[in-house]
Amino acid sequence: MNNNRNSKIEEILGSLDGSQRAAIPDFFYTRLEARMQQELVPVTKKSWMLRPAFAFAVLIIVLVVNAVVIFKGDTNKTNEIATNNDDTFQSIAAEYSLNDNNSVYDLNQEK
Amino acid sequence: MNEIELIQGLRNGDETAFKYLVDTYQDRVYNTAIGIVQNAEDAEDVAQEVFIQVYRSIHGFKGESKLSTWLYRIATTRALDLLRSRKSKKRFGFMQRLFGDGNEPLHEIPDFNHPGVALDRKENAAKLFKAIAQLPENQKTAFTLHKLEDLSYQEISEVMGTSVPAVESLMHRAKQNLRKILEKEIE
Repeated sequence: MNNNRNSKIEEILGSLDGSQRAAIPDFFYTRLEARMQQELVPVTKKSWMLRPAFAFAVLIIVLVVNAVVIFKGDTNKTNEIATNNDDTFQSIAAEYSLNDNNSVYDLNQEK
Repeated sequence: MNEIELIQGLRNGDETAFKYLVDTYQDRVYNTAIGIVQNAEDAEDVAQEVFIQVYRSIHGFKGESKLSTWLYRIATTRALDLLRSRKSKKRFGFMQRLFGDGNEPLHEIPDFNHPGVALDRKENAAKLFKAIAQLPENQKTAFTLHKLEDLSYQEISEVMGTSVPAVESLMHRAKQNLRKILEKEIE
């Protein structure tokens, strides 16, 4: 029984002896070329874009632009609001003829 | 084209040299990979990665070992990397099954049939491959290179960066472990 088992194990252990080399599927080189074109070209672009120095510089530029827009925009806005308010009051007054509102009283007085 | 001319051609980015390298070594790389990963598609993936790595790092190849030794080294490393990632995915899948909805089945690797094994030995070879898959990495590498690629212990020691006695010891332990695994299988 043991002998049988041992011989079976030896048979299994020797089952790869004299086996042939597995051949790679056809057109391997074509597929390899395609993969290399995919992998090797974008890698160089990516590595340049993903450099910490580049990313940091972009971040700084974005922050500076943001700061400039916020602070400069704020002062402009205050001036603009002030002038805008004057304009608006004047235009509303003109529209409703409020500038010579005394005339209303004049008319009333005439009556 | 001899090896020095081939390496020089590769360093110069010569496409003919690269094609010659692939044509010459593709079956050796594929056969090594398929022995370790035990799956045809994965083995082709590994083979592609090996040649891409050669293309990328040929300038770092000092020529201290043979080109074939270097290729075998990359192939075994890449194949073992794939096994490790497969194992971690499997572990993640198991965790997902434990904590998830539990509908996903666990994928067991089916029996592997090496295309180069004779028909009358296929059944035994499948059992052997199943047992090889359970060996520790270095024993698996040594056994595969010896049995499938017919490399000598000296060549295996160069691929694995170790000594010949260390390879002898690895092979001895690999056979012992395989016997134990197969004994359990047969019972």
